[in-house]
Amino acid sequence: MPQIHQRRGLGGRLYHGETAIDFYGRRWWGIAVSSALLVVTFASLLFQGLNLGIDFEGGVAWEVSADNVSVNQARSILDDHGINGIDAKVQQRTSASGSVLLIQVGDQSVAKRQEVQEALATEAKVPTESVSVTSVSSTWGRSITEKAIRALIIFLILVALFIAWRLEWRMALSAIVAMMHDVLISIGVYSVLRFEVTPATVVAFLTILGFSLYDTIVVFDKVKDNAERFSGARMPYADVVNVSMNQVLMRSINTTIAAVLPVLSLLILGAGVLGATTLREFSLALLVGLITGSYSSIFIASPLLAMLKEREPRYRMYRGSHATGAELERLVLGGSPAARRDAARLRSDTGADEVVLAATPTTPQSLLTHPPRPRKKKRRTS
Amino acid sequence: MRKKQLWYSLIGILVVAFGGLFLTLASGDKPSLGLDLQGGISITQKPVGAFNTSSLDLAVERIRERVDSLGVAEPEILRQGDAIVVNLPGVKNQAQAEQLVKVTGQVYLRPVLVDDQFGGIPCVTSDPNKKPTPTTTTTTTAGGSTTTAAGAAAATTTVAAPTTTAAGGPSRRTSTDNTTTTVATSPASTTVPADASTTTVAGETTTTVAGGTTPTLPDVAPTDTGYVSARGGSLCKVGPAGGTGEVFKDDATARILPNTGWGVTVSLRGGDSGEGVWNTMAAECYGGTATCPTRQLAIELDGEVISAPTVQQPNFSGGSVQISGAFSESEARNLARVLNSGSLPVKLETQAVQTVSPTLGKDSLRAAWIAGLVGVGLVLIFMVLYYKLLGVIVGVGLLVSGALIWTIISFLSKTQGLALSLAGIAGLIVSVGVTVDSYVVFFERLKDEVRAGRSMRNSAQRGFAGAWHTIVVADMVSLIGAAVLWYLTVGSVRGFAFFLGLSTLCDLFVAYFFTRPAVLLLSRTEWMSRRKVMGIEVSPVAAS
Repeated sequence: MPQIHQRRGLGGRLYHGETAIDFYGRRWWGIAVSSALLVVTFASLLFQGLNLGIDFEGGVAWEVSADNVSVNQARSILDDHGINGIDAKVQQRTSASGSVLLIQVGDQSVAKRQEVQEALATEAKVPTESVSVTSVSSTWGRSITEKAIRALIIFLILVALFIAWRLEWRMALSAIVAMMHDVLISIGVYSVLRFEVTPATVVAFLTILGFSLYDTIVVFDKVKDNAERFSGARMPYADVVNVSMNQVLMRSINTTIAAVLPVLSLLILGAGVLGATTLREFSLALLVGLITGSYSSIFIASPLLAMLKEREPRYRMYRGSHATGAELERLVLGGSPAARRDAARLRSDTGADEVVLAATPTTPQSLLTHPPRPRKKKRRTS
Repeated sequence: MRKKQLWYSLIGILVVAFGGLFLTLASGDKPSLGLDLQGGISITQKPVGAFNTSSLDLAVERIRERVDSLGVAEPEILRQGDAIVVNLPGVKNQAQAEQLVKVTGQVYLRPVLVDDQFGGIPCVTSDPNKKPTPTTTTTTTAGGSTTTAAGAAAATTTVAAPTTTAAGGPSRRTSTDNTTTTVATSPASTTVPADASTTTVAGETTTTVAGGTTPTLPDVAPTDTGYVSARGGSLCKVGPAGGTGEVFKDDATARILPNTGWGVTVSLRGGDSGEGVWNTMAAECYGGTATCPTRQLAIELDGEVISAPTVQQPNFSGGSVQISGAFSESEARNLARVLNSGSLPVKLETQAVQTVSPTLGKDSLRAAWIAGLVGVGLVLIFMVLYYKLLGVIVGVGLLVSGALIWTIISFLSKTQGLALSLAGIAGLIVSVGVTVDSYVVFFERLKDEVRAGRSMRNSAQRGFAGAWHTIVVADMVSLIGAAVLWYLTVGSVRGFAFFLGLSTLCDLFVAYFFTRPAVLLLSRTEWMSRRKVMGIEVSPVAAS
């Protein structure tokens, strides 16, 4: 009857939460991949920076009577003169005295300003002088950025304190590092692909920030749960992390799918099929952010937490002796880590690489028991 | 009994969510859309006459402050050449919008009549906790003839002035006051200018100044007596303006003054319209007459008191004024900027009020909607495939959340001028992921419990208890973020904070009042407990 005796395929094991992947042991893979991505991000930010849109930088605006020029015509005129028409901000302004088109793009040379002015005048069938050229300031004032940065710093401090209070400070540190990793990589995507940064992009980055923290905390809550559960048993913290990762793996995958599907739909259906190009860059940033958000919870935040925790005297002695393979699988399934103690001691005594673990049979009865509560009095000394 | 409560909660939330949605739809309200999607009203203002760039910048900032205080509508403010363009989304009342963006940059100097309305809060306290008690400081100017006492009781002033009896100055006020005007007079200060002594009534001298421009915005007209708000939220009762910021030259600078820390120095324009007007007011306030009983002179910009220093000297014939007090650097700089702008105020004239077309167009909105709905549909299909019957609960739960959010956004669009931009819509679509996560966390816990051999009913209860803890901790972080960003930021960041907070609260609300009763009630049914739930047979041992 108990399914645990049967060996399932990977899908089945995933579904039933019976995977035994040694995430901790493979932590350097994740760290290497992330470091590579971060290096690319920093290099790109250093060498080409961000392509800030007109909302941040200001630029040039042409104003032309809208009688003979449509929004799309205006955009194609820009394209003809080597200015990306899609990124231009074209507004039709209507009042009692008629309607005008306001075409805003990033800063242009004097010659180009004039070229476009003339082209617009020809298109609108008006004299060149009646197409006005002005410089426009950014709509995103410096005060907005200053306020936002100040608010973010306060937010991060509060969040760190909150996590330290509800979980612990090492988790706060790991979660914030993982969050920065996610936001940086998303910014890197914008920098590498030369996407235009608009106020909407800032919102996308903030969304990623929020999601990343959220996702990491859900994972850490499980880690904390398991740490309490195993606190009576002497086992490396890496095991606690590994067990937790395997137990929340399905949840992480499901949540990522649920979060990514709508964004993917925006990207493919909205931007691709229906042609709303403004959605493209935005949803691509979100997509990258959501995926790294889930990825970093497991591959950055958790290993980092384990490495921080292992410095604690309580866990230091078990460093480098975390369970893998069948033993990890047994732990994931809820078995007690009793056999580990001897194994760890044996290994440290003999220095043997291979340790034969006493296989404890898992019975439904043993699984039925409530998780062991930490009992301080019963803790044995080694 | 317990079961009854679950039913109440379930029926309650369904009634609230769908009743609200029904009322919203019936009354024809719907979310208004942002500038990028729906366009709005654009007001172009141009300065007339002489102005300097910094006062134009200040005007832009003032407009931004005013417009942003409205809500989360994400307005756009930009300078096009010299003109200031304000684009407002979702504005119904055009006249009101015009009124809103009108700032004058006009600085008024008006005597403070009562400054401690509502429990002894002084007129200007940017942060009452930061400077609990003002310290008495004395500054000696180069001439050595004048010293001034900042802050505390009037008796400490040792200015070369006739009498220092604070007639109208209540001790309660002076003890909490933290800004003072100190005077830098030349050694010749003993000679009181004739013009200052002859004019006695402030109202008379100012009629010419106030008559020139009729500002529309100050809530209290400069010729009236009334309450004006001060930075930090207190109210000051001020009298008619005795003069404008034009008495000063535009050379106000923030600097560290000896002994008193950051302060501002500014020089007076010569002649009757500068020094003359100022000295009249100073003399009046210094004397604590009925027109200026508190001895404070408020510096007001567009209906807000920026600073209200106590006058320490009846006569400022030296031509320069020093404002000291417990300023921080940025406060001092701000005051200097205000004074400079007030010395040559920008007179803005509305040039055009236009409607602006959306920058993105209908197709973007349509694409976002279609893609969003398809995406959510895919999520639901995935949930049903994965969690079978429980997936249906996710579907109903998302409908409940959707109904709640639609109702709230529609309501706030109508009452608070909220406008949904494309980024806002995308944010809501992403929030689907977080909402679904609550279900996933719950169901995965439930699965663990069932796998451990517990009965369906027991598993559901234990599963929810565990999941709820996780959800609350994770959602609290989002709520902290939403609250901090909401209070401290402006523009689209603030809009983001709003939608984050809204969707997170909805998530918590729906998880507790809908998902919990729905799953718990389902788990109690005979039918459910005999089922192969989520591919795991409920242990026959436990399912008794």
